[in-house]
Amino acid sequence: MFRQKTVADKVRENLLGIIVLLILALLPMRANDFLLDTLVRTYIFVILAVTLDFFSGTTGYLNLGHSFIFGLSAYLTGILYVYLKIPTEIAILGAGLLGTFGSLALLLPSLRVRGVYFAILSLLYPIIFIGIVTTQPFSLYLGGEGGLRIKQLFLDIARKLPPTERLAFLHNAYYYLSFILMVASFIVLYKLAYNEFGFKLRSIGQDEELSEAAGVNTTNMKIKGFLLSAVFASYAGALYAGMRPPITVDFVNTGSILLPTLTAMIVGGAGTIIGPAIAAFLLTLLYQYLWGLVGLWRTVAYMIILLAFVLIRPQGIFFDIYLRIRRLVDKVIG
Amino acid sequence: MIMLKVESVTKRFGGLVALRNVSMSVNKNEIFGIIGPNGSGKTTLFNVISGVLRPDEGKVIFEDKDITHMRPSDRVKLGIARTFQTIRVFPYMPVYWNVMVTASSVYSDSRIAKARVSWALTITGLLGEAGELAGKLTPYKLKMLEFARCLVANPKLIMLDEPFAGLSPEEIERLIGIILKLRENGLTFIIIEHKLKYLMRIADRIMALSLGEKMAEGKPDEVARHPKVIEAYIGVT
Repeated sequence: MFRQKTVADKVRENLLGIIVLLILALLPMRANDFLLDTLVRTYIFVILAVTLDFFSGTTGYLNLGHSFIFGLSAYLTGILYVYLKIPTEIAILGAGLLGTFGSLALLLPSLRVRGVYFAILSLLYPIIFIGIVTTQPFSLYLGGEGGLRIKQLFLDIARKLPPTERLAFLHNAYYYLSFILMVASFIVLYKLAYNEFGFKLRSIGQDEELSEAAGVNTTNMKIKGFLLSAVFASYAGALYAGMRPPITVDFVNTGSILLPTLTAMIVGGAGTIIGPAIAAFLLTLLYQYLWGLVGLWRTVAYMIILLAFVLIRPQGIFFDIYLRIRRLVDKVIG
Repeated sequence: MIMLKVESVTKRFGGLVALRNVSMSVNKNEIFGIIGPNGSGKTTLFNVISGVLRPDEGKVIFEDKDITHMRPSDRVKLGIARTFQTIRVFPYMPVYWNVMVTASSVYSDSRIAKARVSWALTITGLLGEAGELAGKLTPYKLKMLEFARCLVANPKLIMLDEPFAGLSPEEIERLIGIILKLRENGLTFIIIEHKLKYLMRIADRIMALSLGEKMAEGKPDEVARHPKVIEAYIGVT
């Protein structure tokens, strides 16, 4: 029971994940630019799904303002670049950190309320944010509807390369950056979600009063859990802003940012981390490729598929499928 | 030596006075029983002592320290553990984690926390179910799980809210055995119980509440003979 695990044990346990990550890491050697581009977007959504799940899936505090954290850091990147003349690469690093603490603006006032009231309160944040950004006088400084223009990430390096290699360089660089951020967020949050930290968060979700009476400082845990969720979501926003300028209100949009994230969490299996990650990955790709299959009917087809998933298995179909595959793999390798 | 002191506590819910000027003190290594009809304020008193509720007036003092405004989780770390009247566990978490959540909050060293969990699960006979979801346990095992959660925090004072409710006579005897054993090892208990037959047997002192006020306090047989207690329970004098 208390035997120390060897490296071989760990590889065997995580074989499935290692294989998947290796394939994704080697993908740029064979994939076309469109796929790489799609995957960058996909990875960002995986980060959003995993971060939302880490806080909301475990504690039961449904954060409907998740896109606020993402968009806040995106705008902070733009502000650092435009007004402080900080290069995009460094602006991203600073904005991710600032955005993490800025996101406390959402959490702290909401600590006083529970359940559906927290959800409603958090939902207001992206709306307020969009209102500020698009209304004078702030719209004059924050680019209004047209957005904040910043120099694309790594553009200076790309310009030093021969013209034929520039685009490939940027595609590969963006791919690996978002890939690394995704892997890092996933591993950190997955580990935490299944150790003492994660179970304290889960205890809050199951019975907050009991959790406190059982010795968990619930306020403290909610803040820590939220900050850990926010730091990765925030860096995802800052990075995506650097890769896809200009920075517009699309970064904060509840419909285009929160909705895919939230549905990934639900059909993935809330609180499982890996389920929402798989769901976000497959659903974002599905949405992209549905265009080729059904054209203008894409959104309708996508929503019907989601509905079917929820109806078939309300607790999350992707975590179930993952468990089955895992059991199969475990059987094969003994 | 006095371990816990409640000093003229009053708690109101809107117009209803749930506790009116209630004082009590519990000695170290004592089993202190609280009885009273439904709605007499027993559970409210527990909530005030464990910190779930803050009193409107009065003080709670634990080992000479004023804890009236302390968070419940900090009181657990000081050594006050409790169970609830209706069984409360984290149903979708394994038994092990139900207990580990408390252990890892109390001990910063995870090796000590793990050792404490194994110990608490052994004493309560739950080691075999450690990996099962708490929601799937039988009522007796659920009570044991609550008990394990209390014990794992290395408490000085354990407060049990109707521990014998819903248990068979044999199960009650087993639980009494554990309680007496732990008391021998230096623990202090406050027990709310309606099954007076059992409480009278193990309690050193008993306090009777009625409508939020203290009616009587003393040795079990003195309280049982107290005319006000008989009136409150049976309704005649």
